[in-house]
Amino acid sequence: MRIPTYDDLTPSIPDITPRETFDEVAKFLSPADPPPKVRPASFVPDSLELYACLRHGLKTVAPPSPMAAPHTSPHFLIARDFSPRIERHGDASVVLDVSGLGRLLGTPHTIGTELARAADGYAATVRTAIARSQTAARLLAIGHPGLTIADGDATAAIASLPIDTLRVFIEDDVAGGGAAMARLKATMDRVDTFRRWGLTTLGEIAALPSMELSERMGQDGLALQQLARGIDRAPLVPDPGVPRFLQSMELEWPIDALEPLSFVFARLLEPLSSALERADRGAAALRLDLRLVDRTTHTRVLQLPAAMRDAKVLRTLLLLDLESHPPSAAIDVVAIEIDPVPGRIVQYSLLERALPSPETLATLTARLGALVGDSRCGSPVLLDTWRPDGCEMTRFTPDHSRPSLRVSQSEGRLAEAAEPRRRTGTLILRRFRPPIAVRVTSDRGRPGQVAIDRRGMPGGRVERAAGPWRTSGAWWDPSSGAWDRDEWDVALSDGSICRLFFDRINECWFLEGILD
Amino acid sequence: MPSALRGELESLLRDRKLDRTLTTNAWADVVRDVAPTGLEILDEQLGGGIARGHLSEIVGPRSSGRTTVLCRMFQAAADRGEAIALIDSCDRFDPVSASAGGVDLTKLLWVRERGDGCRALKAMNLVLQAGGFGLVAFDIADVSPMMLRQFPYTTWMRIARVIEGSQTAAVVIAAERTARSPGGVTIALEPALDAPRAQWSGAADRARFLRGIELRTRVVGGR
Repeated sequence: MRIPTYDDLTPSIPDITPRETFDEVAKFLSPADPPPKVRPASFVPDSLELYACLRHGLKTVAPPSPMAAPHTSPHFLIARDFSPRIERHGDASVVLDVSGLGRLLGTPHTIGTELARAADGYAATVRTAIARSQTAARLLAIGHPGLTIADGDATAAIASLPIDTLRVFIEDDVAGGGAAMARLKATMDRVDTFRRWGLTTLGEIAALPSMELSERMGQDGLALQQLARGIDRAPLVPDPGVPRFLQSMELEWPIDALEPLSFVFARLLEPLSSALERADRGAAALRLDLRLVDRTTHTRVLQLPAAMRDAKVLRTLLLLDLESHPPSAAIDVVAIEIDPVPGRIVQYSLLERALPSPETLATLTARLGALVGDSRCGSPVLLDTWRPDGCEMTRFTPDHSRPSLRVSQSEGRLAEAAEPRRRTGTLILRRFRPPIAVRVTSDRGRPGQVAIDRRGMPGGRVERAAGPWRTSGAWWDPSSGAWDRDEWDVALSDGSICRLFFDRINECWFLEGILD
Repeated sequence: MPSALRGELESLLRDRKLDRTLTTNAWADVVRDVAPTGLEILDEQLGGGIARGHLSEIVGPRSSGRTTVLCRMFQAAADRGEAIALIDSCDRFDPVSASAGGVDLTKLLWVRERGDGCRALKAMNLVLQAGGFGLVAFDIADVSPMMLRQFPYTTWMRIARVIEGSQTAAVVIAAERTARSPGGVTIALEPALDAPRAQWSGAADRARFLRGIELRTRVVGGR
């Protein structure tokens, strides 16, 4: 019996070159999978929602003059004439919520015609698109000149658009600035990956199986696929310039502790909460500006997982965030601004067990984040890698509507190909992070005696062993942590069943975990 | 006279909602809401599953199958559509093998602590107080006994009080018996001394696979 090589242990992942067609890619990514019936977890818009996007007609947009007022571009002025709910995306495009204009103007086509007529009035070259989602409207405005109306399925409407549309879409958001700029730039690189796979249109990206895409590209790939399907990643956040939910207070004496600050927050948030309730709105994001005694401003922006307006919850979230990111000096002025979105409508079921509400989860994860660290609580997500312990943390959002990952993960390519042992599904590993160095007496490579210089650790004579199972990876990029090792499952004389591995790079033995 | 005193004492306990500590109590007739473990043999022993609103424990030595039983409970809870949480005191949970074992990771809130049992206990308390979870597990199997002794004596009583009457089933994973509430159970996983626990297939090392381990459970407590 020959020792299994790395090639034996890994599946035949094809190297995809630009010449390969979409069909080959789709074949690799299990074409038998039907398109997902359940929409991926994200912001799910109301089916009656209707959005318009006005985009500067020129291909390149000149950088705004420092002297120019921020909201004097023609497409922004046109949008403001039609709707109070406007969101800008860079200097090139504006999205407006036209859901309520049906009674006033009529069909989406009529609304589009009126928008185009208004653009003529400003003598501006504006591309106009109307669709059932913000994303679809923006993509259509990028892809088609003139007026485009897509009153039906957003995914079908944008399916024929070229893949470069996505790049322009992301560039608009990057131009808009913000903390997520670096993330957006990283996402943009993924568009090139799609091109290398031979994909040319958004429809082809939308048709890729989500699970396999997530395994290969992580959350970035899923985010791009949602864009390609015309699914909104976030609700429309109205731009400043429309009615604002803002409260501020100048303090008589500077505050340098959280407890007195909580009373100030309560005083500011309660009227804001009442105003949101009157307007049937919820907070999508909270912006806190603290002017400090050293003349600097400490700004925190909280993106909330769901629209909420409970003053106590908002106050708790602000306090927990400040506990993790305290200001550098005492506070002189406190200002809180809320980005409003339409109120959340929840339909509970008598037949399903209630899950924690978004408000509860937001507070809980904020508290846990303050206690153990933001990166150490959430849901684990498996990565498409053979690297041991290949997983990352993501926000915990349990959802009844999500398809169960259990079947696909236990029966899918990842689980089948990872290791033959995993198919048994009977034993779970208790992993040591990092692995523990052990002293192993080996006979022709087979472990015979295991000793660990730590109290309470397993050790003893190896009574039964299975292996070696060789894995290696990242040898092409040592900076990312190359590994090359032989794994063994061993039963020790003290009754423990452990997973050992011999690190072939450093030539030493480690205890990876205990099978329990 | 003793019966009168006993009646008075029971009345006082009921007033303070401590009547569940009584051995002769009418609440025993109340239908128990249980969370099935997903292991048929264990469910038979438990009378359907572990009790909701109570603190139970899974105890056993290394490689006795504690984590495997826990993951089966996670799988069963996720299949019922419940949210599950794991407070991992020593960061031992392995999502890769758990997922291969059938756990739906999207339903799992995983709180990773680096060995600080007290902080993990606070996290456990926060999760239980938030409510809405079907199953919450507190893994202290690798926490040192010295650290466990630092927990105040009332810790477990307080946790039992937090979940009392809720739909949450709480489970402690430990090496030794640590705590359970009056309605909870201890699932003791015992080593099989008369036979090798591990089940292997294949003769030579290179052709051998670890197929599983033999679980020997003993249920203590529960009413």
